[in-house]
Amino acid sequence: MQTILIVEDDPVIREELQLLLENEGYRALALETFTDVPGQVCAQNADLLLLDLGLPGRDGLALCAAIRKRSKLPIVIVTSRDSTTDELRALSLGSDDYITKPYNIPVLLARVRAVLRRSGGQAEPERLEAAGLRLDLAKGQVWAGERQAELTRNELQILAHLLRHAGEIVSRADLIEALWDSQIYIDDNTLSVNVTRLRAKLDSIGCPGCIKTRRGMGYQL
Amino acid sequence: MTLWEFLSDRLGRGVGTLCGAAVAALFLMATGTRPGVVALLALGFLLVFVGAYTVEFLRLRAQLAELEAILEGLEKKYLFSACIPTPKDHYQRKLFDLTRRSGKSMLEAVSQAQAAQRAYRDYIEAWVHEIKTPITAAQLLCRDLEGDKRRKLTQELAQVEAHVERALFYARAESPERDCVIRQGSLDAIVSQAIQAHRALLIQSGIRVETEGLDCTVYTDEKWTAFLLGQILQNAARYRGQAPVICISAQPLGQKVVLTVADNGMGIPAHELPRVCERGFTGSNGRLRGGSTGMGLYLCRKLAAFLELDFQITSQEGEGTQVMLTFPATAGAEV
Repeated sequence: MQTILIVEDDPVIREELQLLLENEGYRALALETFTDVPGQVCAQNADLLLLDLGLPGRDGLALCAAIRKRSKLPIVIVTSRDSTTDELRALSLGSDDYITKPYNIPVLLARVRAVLRRSGGQAEPERLEAAGLRLDLAKGQVWAGERQAELTRNELQILAHLLRHAGEIVSRADLIEALWDSQIYIDDNTLSVNVTRLRAKLDSIGCPGCIKTRRGMGYQL
Repeated sequence: MTLWEFLSDRLGRGVGTLCGAAVAALFLMATGTRPGVVALLALGFLLVFVGAYTVEFLRLRAQLAELEAILEGLEKKYLFSACIPTPKDHYQRKLFDLTRRSGKSMLEAVSQAQAAQRAYRDYIEAWVHEIKTPITAAQLLCRDLEGDKRRKLTQELAQVEAHVERALFYARAESPERDCVIRQGSLDAIVSQAIQAHRALLIQSGIRVETEGLDCTVYTDEKWTAFLLGQILQNAARYRGQAPVICISAQPLGQKVVLTVADNGMGIPAHELPRVCERGFTGSNGRLRGGSTGMGLYLCRKLAAFLELDFQITSQEGEGTQVMLTFPATAGAEV
């Protein structure tokens, strides 16, 4: 399990962020006091640091540089200062990414994943398997036993999201949100069209009715 | 200064002098001076009189032309009184001193106002950064809510954020050079930054966004351009029609890149089109739907001018609106 260390002075954000990251399967630690931050950070031996630049009474960028001097730990800066000048300075002082508040939660998680992946953590799975289906994300193919179908980008992402939540009911709204995360900006009608096409393809490889419609709630695999 | 203006200023004095000369001539005649001598004296006097006036006229005209040239050459015209030479004669020097004193007090007032404006801008910026912390906390907190409530609250928070952003950029637009950094960037990344920033509103409005040909490089400030696009997306969402679609596409135009954001919304009436970028302008659509601030497009035009983006809007009422952003030429910028 990867450990993420949170340095954030606002207690509500700190707690919620910790909860959020724990729900995502990380071990989340947070500093409670802000004396000798570089020393505390290095003592924790985390895999990633989420650093808020606006700590009371100190220059966050200087802090970032001080930590970078002592450790190779990946640093993601989280801040409400959002000018390009601030961002360039932060990146030149050795941070690995820069996210501005208020952040979009899926975007924050995606950036954290990307930094962890770059720094040599585990790679995102290329294949998903559930309900008798095998999905190859890189090739965009779905397999049921020996039979195979090619999926479009939209169909691929819909099926991937359903497979990641196999057994759960996924609401249409959640599905749309998930697709927007992958830069597929569709509306409700287009989603219906895509689900119909996806069902037809699954039908053709011998898995009819594996995406069930739960009236008034959403889809279930 | 025309000759006529010059003479009319000196009418009283001139008539007085000529009357004096006439009285002197009469006196000379009465005391037995020969008329020929008097005529000669009168001629000499007239020559001196006309000569003196001509010299004075030319001198004043040259002086005014010089002052005019100094004013023309000044970038900050209100510094005029500090830049002109001290006049030689006493009366003018007194006048000059008065203007200089009044100019000085105005300079103080101007610099005080500028300092106050800077302080206000800094405060707005600091305030915006502070308000973002509670917005972030609220966003994190509403994750725990049940589906529909969460989405609605997220959208409300996104709207708070959009208003806050506008205030920030309004403050920034006053002295844009302070945090604008032009650098190479991917158009695709800028567009997706703008879409993600307003995704709550777009999804809630049931909008489909299509993108096409965005894999090009532009030279601009990413944050500012993303903000600008965000205003256009918000308008497209606010004034949407049936089955709303926003199409974002880019085409190269010689060395430039044209980004088009087209929607199929309610459009802008032709007679309002020239005014939509005015500060505080809310057209008939804005009044109909409410919630229009008249700020978004005003800021767009202002920021676009600073970023040297060409900003054009076309629209057909009832059919849709197209916004074209032309990014400046990239060749030669790659140094």
